[in-house]
Amino acid sequence: MSAEKPQITLVIDGIEVEAEEGAMLVDAAKGGDIEIPVFCYEPKLGGPVGACRMCLVEIEGIPKLQTGCSTAVRDGMVVYTRTDRVIESQNAIVEFLLVNHPLDCPVCDKGGECPLQDISMGWGPGRSRFSEPKRHFQKPVALSPLVRIDRERCIMCYRCVRFSQDVAEDEQLQLLERGAQSFVGTFDERPYIAPFAGNIIDLCPVGALTSEAYRFRARPWDIEDSGSICTLCPSQCNVMFTVRDERVQRVFPRDNDDVDNGWLCDKGRFGFQMIASGERITEPTVSGAKVGWEAALDAAAERLRAAGERTAVIVGGQASNEEGYLAQRIARRALGSPHVGAVDELSPAPLHALSAPELGAAVADIDHADSILVVGVDPLHAMPVLDLRLRKAVRHGDTRLVVASDRPTALDGGAEVTARYEPGEAAELLEALERQLTRPPANPGTPGREAEDVPGIGSAGREAEEVPGGDSGAESIAGELRPGATVIVYGERVGRGTGGEAALHALAGCARALRCDADRAGLIGVPDGANGRGLREVGCLSGAGPGFEEAAAGRDLAEIRDGLRAGDVDALILVQADPVRDLPDGPAWAQALRQARAVIAISCFEDASTAAADIVLPAEMYAEKEGTLTHPDGRLQRLRPSVPRPGDVRPVWQALTELSARLDHETGIDSASEALEAIAAEVPFYAGVTADEIGGRGVRWQERQAAAACPPAAEARGERRAAAADSGRPENGSGGGALRLGTYRDLWAAEATERNPAIRFLAPAQRVELAPADGARLGLGDGDQVEVRSNGTSVRARVALHERIRPGAAFMIEGTATENANALAGAETVEIERIAPAPGAPGRSDRSDAEPAGS
Amino acid sequence: MSQEFPYLKDAEDVVAVQRGPEPGGVAGAYRAFGETLRGLKTTMAQVFAGPITIQYPEEKTPVYPRFRGRHKLHRFEDTGLEKCVGCSLCAAACPADCIRVVAAENDPVDRVSAGERYAAVYEINLARCIFCGYCEVACPFDAITMGHEYEMADYNRGDLIFTKEMLLAESLEQTPLRREGE
Ligand code: SF4
Ligand code: SF4
Ligand code: FES
Repeated sequence: MSAEKPQITLVIDGIEVEAEEGAMLVDAAKGGDIEIPVFCYEPKLGGPVGACRMCLVEIEGIPKLQTGCSTAVRDGMVVYTRTDRVIESQNAIVEFLLVNHPLDCPVCDKGGECPLQDISMGWGPGRSRFSEPKRHFQKPVALSPLVRIDRERCIMCYRCVRFSQDVAEDEQLQLLERGAQSFVGTFDERPYIAPFAGNIIDLCPVGALTSEAYRFRARPWDIEDSGSICTLCPSQCNVMFTVRDERVQRVFPRDNDDVDNGWLCDKGRFGFQMIASGERITEPTVSGAKVGWEAALDAAAERLRAAGERTAVIVGGQASNEEGYLAQRIARRALGSPHVGAVDELSPAPLHALSAPELGAAVADIDHADSILVVGVDPLHAMPVLDLRLRKAVRHGDTRLVVASDRPTALDGGAEVTARYEPGEAAELLEALERQLTRPPANPGTPGREAEDVPGIGSAGREAEEVPGGDSGAESIAGELRPGATVIVYGERVGRGTGGEAALHALAGCARALRCDADRAGLIGVPDGANGRGLREVGCLSGAGPGFEEAAAGRDLAEIRDGLRAGDVDALILVQADPVRDLPDGPAWAQALRQARAVIAISCFEDASTAAADIVLPAEMYAEKEGTLTHPDGRLQRLRPSVPRPGDVRPVWQALTELSARLDHETGIDSASEALEAIAAEVPFYAGVTADEIGGRGVRWQERQAAAACPPAAEARGERRAAAADSGRPENGSGGGALRLGTYRDLWAAEATERNPAIRFLAPAQRVELAPADGARLGLGDGDQVEVRSNGTSVRARVALHERIRPGAAFMIEGTATENANALAGAETVEIERIAPAPGAPGRSDRSDAEPAGS
Repeated sequence: MSQEFPYLKDAEDVVAVQRGPEPGGVAGAYRAFGETLRGLKTTMAQVFAGPITIQYPEEKTPVYPRFRGRHKLHRFEDTGLEKCVGCSLCAAACPADCIRVVAAENDPVDRVSAGERYAAVYEINLARCIFCGYCEVACPFDAITMGHEYEMADYNRGDLIFTKEMLLAESLEQTPLRREGE
């Protein structure tokens, strides 16, 4: 996006090298095939720090040696990288680095892929004059349950500390002590637990930081790397699988600046262990009996034929475009049923409007946006790597961040304005914002779009202003957003529930008012499922077929559930979906699945939904899959098989085509690539896309010619309903114990957390987050065990008091393995009651919600 | 001459060949059998020198100390711990790609090797090994060396995959060594 920088010419070691003006010398040298050794230089971490002095070079006209990593090139510069002076300094630096290094390469996991080894061999003196005893530390010690640190190997390059301080901004890692005694650690030796902590393993240029899950598993010459995509969340990070003996042993980033900036979250990094899990379903079963594929498919076809158009299909968020396409095709064409849905459910009309190609922002646009509005989503939980991207934009540029959400987000600290609305009330705020943005600018009372006009927000200090959700909040927000240069990141969850449709319409209105069709502006919707966007675009949406083509409207997910219970829907196909865990009202889903005449589940693992299924077909995991995904910003990406499928597992596309054939709908598709061809033929804006075109880096469909074929959204504004502000919602914080319930999906509340031994310790226990005022009013303290009740259902949780929670609201986690808050979904308000006396607070076990309100 | 060989244009093209003696007589007999007899003389001399073959397998050919036979893995003599730390450098060096090492972490209370890691699996496929000795050179701990054993024939290819236990075990029979200069 940034303007092309002028090219200049310089001479390095007698070779003329062209480079972009302002590039660092070490990068420019690569253009002339000259390598300048570096340790601390890592552009991913931000600007150069010049800490290690490995990159010293001689520049004509400058008497002292200069660091190549922090010297920008100039036209006509003459640089020498192999003169005697330079070689002497390089030798000295390597000798110094090795003074305290234990040289235990044979037992070090980094051996063979270690920059210190490479640089010592390439630029070192080859011998050491140091005969004194080396510095000793206890080793290796656990920095966290996921990372071990060997402090003797550390060369003090600061990379890990910089990551923690400057990139993840968790500020946990420090360099402690001074001089030769300095070491990397955390305050008080607390474990370094943070969602992105694993990245320091890749960053460390020596073997000081090693992965607990990969420790001693393989050496670089034992392994093969295989590039694919992580499908554990919508970030769809580009990953490399390290494969040894046909098993994935490690996951590391495949640096794609358009997607992930080369970072991974720990769920993706350590979530690979489940691929080789012994708990995988490896054989098809019918009523629990292992019968083999032919019999299972026959049985499935028989039941589906009996159910006919009374069949529903639900596709899980991890499914590929091909799988989603074939699943909806079975429903629509083989069975004539309109009941197709993905676990990410939104109503088609406003969604279609928001998916318009000119409104879409690319992830990289975030870097250059003037202002960013984050609405109804905490990227840290929903799309972790995007959180790092947003932080980067705020840290580096003049980007002004505005966060509007019901629950406090991890980004609040960097925001100019944060607006808190009541749980589920995004529509109200968005409509107010739309009104603000569309107000005629001539009105002198309107706050201007310039930051100076907004009280309390100076350009100097980053004093976050917290505003309430209503019109005044919208006014502050509107003041921060610059039309034509604003990226809106919204959680697609704002489109759920009663006010959902209105919220999406208002969002589309805001996007128009902010001229999101401009070059540096746009929208990015964060779905719940990893491939939420792709699945909708290939037709896993009630009322819209592939490419948003008009289709007969079917039941939505809740209606499917009720239909199953009432006997109006006879059969259900679950394609890697677990409605009991992932959809609102899990207990009702469990009941619905039990009552259904036939449930056919395609799944990798046994879960609450397969338990109620009659026919279970094994599915491949993402490292085994071939197919495509669509990133939330519209980037088509390729999944490539890296390891063989275990047991009798077949590709899901194959299971679906075979099932389709048995239902007398021959698809003529015999491979994943033919399924992609079929998608490219049916989705107009994917027209002509091939796996080769997508390649290793992906391609945004909005940037292809075919994007013009995206059908314009029907103008739905006429019939648009305003959010029902008067739907009899209880007053916020009204007496008694009633609180507004909001649920969110925690990063770790996922099957992947429980199935991977390495990250199992991160699985969250249910908790209910309250404002301290509410806690005091209800007599609840941090850690109290409570029961959260609504309409006869209850969930047990521990109280967590949180300064930044809005009084009157309570937040709980969806998708936990036990005590899942989705049981309470649909409930507007909840009552909270303590069930066990808090330790250290005896005598307070009386019904406390009867106490007078304190706030 | 030009009359005898009318097609020759020039007398200089003619080369006169001298005939050998006619067969027969003592000289003739010598010419026929002389070399054979010379060979027989050597044969006769060896008949009296006695046999130099050995009665394998009762007796074995001694090998030179530097002979590269079947590998051995070693332990420290004092502690009994395995020298191998499972670093896989031998596997990296092996041109025949016949070594497989899977490492694991030592349990500090019940150590297998002296280092942080040890070889949980160490296998050499001797059916593929070319006895180049690169593995021995690569090993930073002298944990693997080329032994003297050369009797490795077997009925199954699978039996030629030697495991860590087999490589660590003392061989039952000692291969006789040839003294330097012998
Ligand atoms: S632990 Fe690694 S990344 Fe951190 S300072 Fe030491 S060498 Fe650098
Ligand atoms: S002797 Fe040569 S071929 Fe045999 S295992 Fe060692 S390195 Fe491989
Ligand atoms: S790489 Fe330049 S000082 Fe470290």
